Amino acid sequence: MSATLTSPTNAATPGAGAAGETTVATPTLRALLHRSSFWMIAAACILAIAIIAVLVSGGSQAAGRALAGDNAAPAGAMALVEVLGQQGVTVTLAGSLAEVRSAVGADSTVLLYDENSYLDQSQLRELGGLAVRTVVVAPDFLALQALAPTVGFGGVSDAETLTADCSVPAANQAGELVPGGDTLSIPEGGDSLVTGCFASGSETFSLVQVANETTGGLVSLVPDPRVFNNENVTGYGNAALALGLLGPSDALIWYLPTLADLPRTGPPSLAELTPGWVTPVLVLLALVAVAAAIWRGRRFGPLVAENLPVTVKASETMEGRARLYARGNARLRALDALRVGAVQRLARIVGLGRLAHLEEVIGTVAQITGREPDRVRRVLVGAIPVSDSQLMALSDALQALETATGQAVRAGAPESASPEFSTLPAERMDP
Amino acid sequence: MTLSGRFVLLLALGAVPIVLFGPSSGQATGVLALWVLLVCVLGGIDLALAASPRAVTVERMLPSRVRLGESVTSELYLTNTGRRRLNAVVRDAWQPSAGAGQNRSRVVIPRGERRLVSLTLTPFRRGERRVEQVTVRSPGPLGLWNRQATLNAPGRIRVLPPFHARKHLPSRIARLKELDGRTSVMVRGQGTEFDSLREYVRGDDVRSIDWRATARRNDVMVRTWRPERDRRVVILLDTGRTSAARVDNEPRLDTAYEAALLLAALTSVAGDRVDFLAFDRRVRGRVQGASGAALLSQMVDSMALIDPELIEMDWAAVPGQVRSITSQHALVVVLTSIDAAGASTGLLSVLPQLTKRHTVVVASVLDPATVLAAATRGGRDEIYRAASAERALLDVARVSAAIRQLGADVVTASPAQLPPALADRYIALKAAGRL
Repeated sequence: MSATLTSPTNAATPGAGAAGETTVATPTLRALLHRSSFWMIAAACILAIAIIAVLVSGGSQAAGRALAGDNAAPAGAMALVEVLGQQGVTVTLAGSLAEVRSAVGADSTVLLYDENSYLDQSQLRELGGLAVRTVVVAPDFLALQALAPTVGFGGVSDAETLTADCSVPAANQAGELVPGGDTLSIPEGGDSLVTGCFASGSETFSLVQVANETTGGLVSLVPDPRVFNNENVTGYGNAALALGLLGPSDALIWYLPTLADLPRTGPPSLAELTPGWVTPVLVLLALVAVAAAIWRGRRFGPLVAENLPVTVKASETMEGRARLYARGNARLRALDALRVGAVQRLARIVGLGRLAHLEEVIGTVAQITGREPDRVRRVLVGAIPVSDSQLMALSDALQALETATGQAVRAGAPESASPEFSTLPAERMDP
Repeated sequence: MTLSGRFVLLLALGAVPIVLFGPSSGQATGVLALWVLLVCVLGGIDLALAASPRAVTVERMLPSRVRLGESVTSELYLTNTGRRRLNAVVRDAWQPSAGAGQNRSRVVIPRGERRLVSLTLTPFRRGERRVEQVTVRSPGPLGLWNRQATLNAPGRIRVLPPFHARKHLPSRIARLKELDGRTSVMVRGQGTEFDSLREYVRGDDVRSIDWRATARRNDVMVRTWRPERDRRVVILLDTGRTSAARVDNEPRLDTAYEAALLLAALTSVAGDRVDFLAFDRRVRGRVQGASGAALLSQMVDSMALIDPELIEMDWAAVPGQVRSITSQHALVVVLTSIDAAGASTGLLSVLPQLTKRHTVVVASVLDPATVLAAATRGGRDEIYRAASAERALLDVARVSAAIRQLGADVVTASPAQLPPALADRYIALKAAGRL
C-alpha cells in the first residue's frame, strides 16, 4: 500500500457514485454513554445495594470478642462501658500493653481480660504495677503467679447464692452476685492483705482483692467473666460490683491483650526484608500489563467477514472405497475391478469391440502374445487370490499381460492403431 | 481511543522514580500514584490535541470488474475537513480474498486538503469482493493516545472467472475457418449450406460441378459449401452439489466455466447463437440473446457471482428450462459430472426428452488422480487404491455408455483438457452438420 501526495487541484475526480458525506460508524462518546446508560445505572444500583447490605449486616452480625468494650453482643461488655462513660469515667480501649502504658495516669483503673493468655509473667507483673487499681477478669495461672501468688484456683462454685460478706466496699454495695462460675481459693490463715468476698465454701471466693504493700496498688480478681458481660450485668448485684470496682477513678483502661503483645522471636520475615518500593513496582507492572493488553488488543476497526467456499476433494470417495477394500481384505472384489478394467483395455488393444465376449478376448490375446490360453484365462478370470502376495502377483501379471499385448500389437501390426481412437486424443474413450 | 506502545513504555518507566524516591512503602505508593496521574494527564492532553478522525470524508474510485489473477488499483480519497492537520494511519478494510495485502498506510493531510491512498488488489477468489469501512487512527502530537474512528465507505469489485482456456481459442477458430469454403468432398452433406460458385480447379470433386451455371458461364463452375450458420447452442451448467468437488485443485464448476466460455467464444465466431443457463433447483444465471463481445462479458458477469450450491440438481426441470429457451432444434451442452450410476439416474431419466428434439453433449471432468491411481500398483494399499480407481472409471464408463445409448454424446477429460475437448467436439459436430 502506498500513500501518494496529490494536490487538491490535480487529483482525479472521484466517481459520481462516491458518497459526498461520509458517515461515521464508530459511536461518539455521548452516543455510547446514552446507549449504555441503562446498564451503567443498573450496575450503579447493584453496587449501591451491595454496599448498603454489607453495612447493614456488618452492624448487626459482628461477633466481636468476649467482654470487648465495643461489642454489643451478649458476650460483650459494651453496656458496662457505656454506663461508665455516662457516669463520667473516661474509658480507653487498649489492645496492647504499650497502649496501656501510654494511656495510664496517676489515678487510673485497668481492666484486664486475657482470654487467650497472650501475656507472659513479666508483662503481667509490669501491668500490676502500672495502675492504682487493677481488675483482672478470669485470671489464669500465670496471672495469679504474677499478681497474687498466694491465691489459687477454687473450682466451680456450687453455692446457690453468693453474698458479699466481706470488707470490700464495692462487694458490700453489690450484696449478691450471679451464682455459679469459677472461684478462687485463699489458703486458711493466709495473707492478711488478701480479702475474699462472695464465698462459696470456707476457702473459695468469687472476688478476691489483693493489696500491694510496696506500691499501694489494689488488684481485684474476678474469676467469673459473666459478671461484666452484657447478658448478666443487670442481674443480682453484678452492675453494682462492676461500677464499684471500675468506677472509682475518672480514667478506666479497658485492656484486652491481642497478638501485638506476643514477644517477637526468630529471624525477620520476608516482608520486613523487602524494600518498600517492591509492592508499588509490582502494582505498576500490573498496570503496564493492562495497558499493553489494551495497546495490542484494541482492533484497528471491526473484523471483516467473508463467506468461504466449500472445498471437497473429488477423489475422497475413491480413497474411501480403497480403504474399505483394504480393511475388509476384499481381495477378490478388488481383483475383479482390476480384471474388468484390464479385459476392456485388452479388447480395445486387440481391436475387439467393447461388447466383445470374454472368451474371444482371451483367445485373441493368447494368439497375439503367443501364450497359452489357459494361462491367460487364469490371469484374467481363473485364479482366486487367498493372500495379499497372491493378489499383488496377479495384479502384476495383469499389467504384464497388458504391456505384452500392447507391444505385440505394435510390433505385429503398426497400422492397426485404429484411427477411431486417435481422432479425439483428449477424450477418454470407454475402457 | 487507543493506546500506543510509547504510552506503555512511558508507564513502565515509572519504576525508576518509584525505586529512586520511594524508600518506604508509603512514599513509593505515593510516587506510583503521582506517576500514573502524570502519565494519564499527558495522555489526556495528547488525546485532546489529536486531529479528529471523524472530520474526514472518504471517496472511493474502483474499477467495477477484474479478471481473477489480475491486479487493479483501488483509490481512496481522504479529505480532511477538520481544523487540525491530520497525521494518521488508515486501514482500508477489504475482505481478505480481495488480496489487498498490507492495507494500512500512513497519511499526512493538512487541514482542508485531500490525499490519495491507493491500494493494489489482487483478488484470489471469484465473485464479488467487498469493502465496507475505512478506519482512521489519529495519534496526538506526543504519540501516547490515539483517536480512532471507523468511516463507512462501501465499495465492491466483481472478480470474473479467469478464462485461461482462451489460449485454445485461436487454434480452434483456425480449425473452424478451415471448414469454411471447402468443397463438398470434405463437408458436403446435411447441415451445410450453399455458399458460392467458383471456377473449377483441378482436384475439385466432379460431383460438385453445377451444370446449370457451367452452361450459363461457358466455364466449369463448382458449388462451394460452408457450414451452416445461425444454429442454436444451449449451454446448461449444473451448479448443484457435485459441482463443488475439487478436481486438480479446481472446483468442477470453474472447469465448467472455462469450457462454457471457450465454447461460447467459438460459437459466436462460428455465427451460432448461444444461450447460457446455470441451474440447480432454480435458475442461478441466464444469458440469452446476446452475441459477440456482449455475450462473453454477460456470461462472465453472471458466472462471477455463482457458487456451487450444496443441493441436488433438479434434472426433472431441465427439459422445461431448455424448452423455455428455444423450441427449435439446438445443440444442448450439459456441463455436469458423471459419477456412479446411482448418482446419474436423474440425468439419464431426462436425457430421452432432450435427445428427442436436440443434439445433446454431456461434458464431465474426469479426475486425473483416479486415472493415475488405477495405473499405480506398488504395494498392497496401492493395489486396493487401483482397484477402487478402476471401479470408479468403470462406473464412469457405464454411465457414459448409457448416455450414448440414449442418443447423447459424452466428453470427459481432465480439467485442463475439458475446454478444448468440448470445443473440438463442437467443431466435429459442426463439420458433420449435426447442429
